[in-house]
Amino acid sequence: MSIIIENISKHFGNFKALDNINLEVGSGELLALLGPSGCGKTSLLRIIGGLELPDTGKLLFHGEDVKSRDACNRNVGFVFQHYALFRHMSVFENVAFGLRVKPKHIRYKEAEIKRRVHELLELVQLDWLADRFPAQLSGGQRQRIALARALAVEPKILLLDEPFGALDAQVRKELRRWLRRLHDELHITSIFVTHDQEEALEVSDRVVVMNKGRIEQVGTPDEVYAQPATPFVYQFIGNVNLFHSRDHAPWTQQLDDAIAYVRPHDIDISVSAQDETSLPVVVNLVRAIGAIVRVEVEIDGSHELIEIELSRERFDAAPLACGDRVYIRPRQFRVFQKEETDELPAT
Amino acid sequence: MALSSPAHSRFRAHSVLPGFNLALGYTLLYLSLIVLIPLSALFVKTATLGLDGFFELAVNDRVVSSLRVTFVCSLVAAVINAIFGLLVAWVLVRYRFPGKRIVDALVDLPFALPTAVAGITLATLYAPHGWIGQYFAAMGIKVAYTPLGIVVALTFIGLPFVVRTVQPVLEDVEVGVEEAAACLGATRFEVFRRVIFPAIYPALLTGFSLAFARAIGEYGSVIFIAGNMPYISEISPLLIVAKLEQYDYAGATAIAVIMLLISFALLLTINALQWWASKRGVR
Amino acid sequence: MAHSTQGIATHESKTVTRVFITIALGYLLLFLGLPLFAVFYQALSKGWDLYYAALLEPDAWSAIKLTFIAAAIAVPCNLVFGIAAAWSIAKFDFKGKSMLITLIDLPFAVSPVVSGLVYVLLFGAQGWFGPWLQEHDLKLIFAVPGIVLATIFVTFPFIARELIPLMQAQGKDEEEAAVSLGASGWQTFSRVTLPNIKWGLLYGVILCNARAMGEFGAVSVVSGHIRGMTNTMPLHVEILYNEYNFVAAFTIASLLALLALVTLLVKSVVEWQAIRSGAAIRSLI
Repeated sequence: MSIIIENISKHFGNFKALDNINLEVGSGELLALLGPSGCGKTSLLRIIGGLELPDTGKLLFHGEDVKSRDACNRNVGFVFQHYALFRHMSVFENVAFGLRVKPKHIRYKEAEIKRRVHELLELVQLDWLADRFPAQLSGGQRQRIALARALAVEPKILLLDEPFGALDAQVRKELRRWLRRLHDELHITSIFVTHDQEEALEVSDRVVVMNKGRIEQVGTPDEVYAQPATPFVYQFIGNVNLFHSRDHAPWTQQLDDAIAYVRPHDIDISVSAQDETSLPVVVNLVRAIGAIVRVEVEIDGSHELIEIELSRERFDAAPLACGDRVYIRPRQFRVFQKEETDELPAT
Repeated sequence: MALSSPAHSRFRAHSVLPGFNLALGYTLLYLSLIVLIPLSALFVKTATLGLDGFFELAVNDRVVSSLRVTFVCSLVAAVINAIFGLLVAWVLVRYRFPGKRIVDALVDLPFALPTAVAGITLATLYAPHGWIGQYFAAMGIKVAYTPLGIVVALTFIGLPFVVRTVQPVLEDVEVGVEEAAACLGATRFEVFRRVIFPAIYPALLTGFSLAFARAIGEYGSVIFIAGNMPYISEISPLLIVAKLEQYDYAGATAIAVIMLLISFALLLTINALQWWASKRGVR
Repeated sequence: MAHSTQGIATHESKTVTRVFITIALGYLLLFLGLPLFAVFYQALSKGWDLYYAALLEPDAWSAIKLTFIAAAIAVPCNLVFGIAAAWSIAKFDFKGKSMLITLIDLPFAVSPVVSGLVYVLLFGAQGWFGPWLQEHDLKLIFAVPGIVLATIFVTFPFIARELIPLMQAQGKDEEEAAVSLGASGWQTFSRVTLPNIKWGLLYGVILCNARAMGEFGAVSVVSGHIRGMTNTMPLHVEILYNEYNFVAAFTIASLLALLALVTLLVKSVVEWQAIRSGAAIRSLI
């Protein structure tokens, strides 16, 4: 089912949680809402799920306005941040809940409920835990049970609030892949909220980057990483070097009241100046981290530090040591006017 | 609750959970009928007395001395409870000894035991020939039927307050902080004075105020042991009852209003204390 | 608990420990243990025969009945109120919430005697509604309805006070999950909320009941002390005591003390349950 969000705004008291949001989600898409905490991503998810009401704007599911529909009539499955499993019910009863509370005339027979619940538990590979209680499960297991419970009501849309937020790194990685596979199997339109860029880039079809209640960029993982639309996206996703003055960026003529943004891996290092746009620097620090080598250089005559990432092969071809005088030049950069860069998060 | 939609949304945040209007509506109705309207009757009645009438009734020797007895005895009892309550809380949190769980459960006895039962029992125990009273009598001290007896009764009913407010806070004091202080060379007493006591001080004060507030209004446990001699061991609640028995509603109301105002002031103090405690980050 | 992880640096010496424990236990024994023992000792001091005789005496019996009636009305009334108040306060955000919580606590701050007095001022012969009640031949004060009203007043906050913090701590995630899975309001409450608060609810009811049966001051003001008619158990204790019928007084008192002990027992069980489920909650987050 497709989702269209038109001009949605939401205030909490004086705090503007969402500021005129417009977004389209295609049927069967897996979309990530990415941003720092307080950027409004969870509010947007809760509005789609019917757990909050927007102040203004329209929300269309498959072309139909659902703003006045209750949460229970939206056919939406919601997976809560802390799972919100019913702690007094067994895993089986948790998953069966949505089926048991249906009005009598459309409720399944007990045998059918049983069959469906076990089918779902098999889907999330936890059939053997049916009689346990939530407190007896690990975080990853709870997460999958919460998902099975949401899927039990056969939702057309699946919403996940920080689905991996409370898990440790190893389990997170596993569950991420698992969620991707599950989505490819079921093809339910799914939206998940995360503050973890890696998670968003790895799992989703498209990423919506949000900041201060506004959408900064919508695009495929590759697009938001390779072609950030705003300074915020540049800084939030991946690392970036900022060049503030023309002296430090001889390769561009546009630095009046502007800042140049350059990714660390987009910088070339050479022993001699290629041409007049090369910037002389001194190597300050060299650190090999797995397959990449991180080089920190200081611009001559200032204390500004630039971070550069080289692949191991590249580094081995032309090794560097502290104190080496070298020249740098970006392969790719982007310039933003200063006023655009006002509202940057500290990274 | 016929609130229009826009006013409604400003009054409360939206929620998908149902039943707010019904639940809050019923809450407010029941609160008004049982508590607010009856209590306001007291103030309306006072208003009909006029200021002069009120003072005439309120400021006479018997009333003033009853208030003094009530206050002084409540204060003494609350202080006793603050000291011993702190010790009891400390012992219950920090030490292990056989029967601890039973002792811990028993601390709440004054909450659960009807005040009249406490009253007759304490009166019997502290009477000149009672189990405890005889020892005091031998020393020439009369406990029952004197203000001292009132203090005993008020100490009993206020006992759980300090223990129960200090206990959880004391449990939360991190051992690490104490160990850090000890490593820095503080003696055990200094650790208590400089590290532990500041952490539990707001809770202690809250417990003290609660015990004090409870003691001021107490009636049932006191009247049996107090002797109830006007000017000496007559507490204000008893004076209200005495006036009522003489159908002196105005007089009873005047005393009640004074007590009620004192109670409200204490309630505000307690709330402020708790606010202060939470602001200081004392969990 | 702190003591299990305490090292040497945070221990008092053995002597100090013993002195502290001795003083604390001595204090509790003097003020709690001894009185409790004395109630039963006095009640049985003249043997079981007199004990039974005092229990089965008609006035005592009617006092017991009246006490149960008052509690049987007051507790359910405050139960419904407690649930409604806790639901609105814990599960919703609205203006004036902390004010409402303070108002609910109000009866705790009022002297029991004053609680009784306000009803006399309202419904007594000279009260606001006094003339109207007399006209319609209704009697509230010095009659059973007044006793019930006063009991409701003094036990008003008990259940709400237990439920509000409990339900606030549990949050509304589970309820929202239930609604998003299609549950109706009643289904959400009965299948999700109620099972989660059942221990707290039970504790609140027990506490409320103990106070309802044991209330003395407020009931004393509105009852009129008519033997066999408007005497509750605590009032009957008073009358018997003032008549120097100590055995009978302590016999009734022993019933009330027994009630207190049962209350404490249930409280301990409930707290134990809460710690168990509390541990479960913590591990969920």
